[in-house]
Amino acid sequence: MSAGDADAAASGDEGAGLYVESTIIMTTVRLVAPFILTFALFIMFHGADSPGGGFQGGVIAGSVVMMLAFAYGIDSTRQWLDVRIVSALASGGVFAFVGIGLGAMALGGQFLQYSEFEALFGHAIKYAIELVELGIGAIVAAVAIGLFFLLAAGFDDLAEEDSS
Amino acid sequence: MTLTLIEAALLVFVLGCAVGAALLKDTLAAVMAFAAYSLGVSVLWLVLQAPDVGLTEAAVGAGIMTVLFLLALSNTTSPDVDRLFESVGWRSAALVAGFVVLIGATVPALPTIGDPNSAVVGGEVSQYYLENAYAQTEVKNAVTAVLAAYRGFDTLGEGVVVFSAVVVTLSVLRREVVA
Repeated sequence: MSAGDADAAASGDEGAGLYVESTIIMTTVRLVAPFILTFALFIMFHGADSPGGGFQGGVIAGSVVMMLAFAYGIDSTRQWLDVRIVSALASGGVFAFVGIGLGAMALGGQFLQYSEFEALFGHAIKYAIELVELGIGAIVAAVAIGLFFLLAAGFDDLAEEDSS
Repeated sequence: MTLTLIEAALLVFVLGCAVGAALLKDTLAAVMAFAAYSLGVSVLWLVLQAPDVGLTEAAVGAGIMTVLFLLALSNTTSPDVDRLFESVGWRSAALVAGFVVLIGATVPALPTIGDPNSAVVGGEVSQYYLENAYAQTEVKNAVTAVLAAYRGFDTLGEGVVVFSAVVVTLSVLRREVVA
């Protein structure tokens, strides 16, 4: 650990110090990732009937990306994953949640009064709760991924700005 | 209050990990002890029949937090560690001991697990949720019903708090795009 840190600090390239390319890890992650993502979506969608929900499923979905970064390197994962997706998921989740609340008001109810949607489709409360859970899942997954990439990048660009 | 063997073992494990996380000199070792602590607590939640909380603790406490801590550590240089444990000043030890006694004094006030007269089981609000959650929301998991429907406004606030975490990180690191 300390030797790797020293190397990374010396070369000024933290990514190289962090990443160890390993066929075993890459193969395992490639094999396991789809199942974990499926499990995350299951927890997210099935939160109404079993333990879990948007928050837990979102965290697990976010950890899939961390796992990919662990296997294939943070920088290549960052390039593979469009940054716009992360921002869109985070703000889209908040907008969906607020939108459901405001939609209920538009239909004549109070903020987040799901029963108002009964006029539009059946089982409105149940589906509104599911939608809210998905929104929370999107926020949490995107924030987990975003914090991961931001912490990994750290002050890199800032240091370059100051030196130039 | 009687402990089953598994509860007692988990409590010892969790306490050991917590003390280890506080006392270990090497930061990496402390982070790993903290992860093990979270894992132990999440199993403890499962044993206490709170799977929703246990799932959250395992995913966030043992998973994401550990990765973020490790990432933060890898961006710093750690000094060479000469010994295993941090030296503890008597003032900090006394402070921690006092705090433990203070918190421990509240434990007897908690209802025993499964007590039919405890506020958790017999309280008006919990009973209302348990009796009406399915009829009113068509959601079988009462925890989800409370979080997303009865306390939807709270949950919206929590979602925005999580969202603002990434916004704050962006502004602290002076970046314009996530990732």
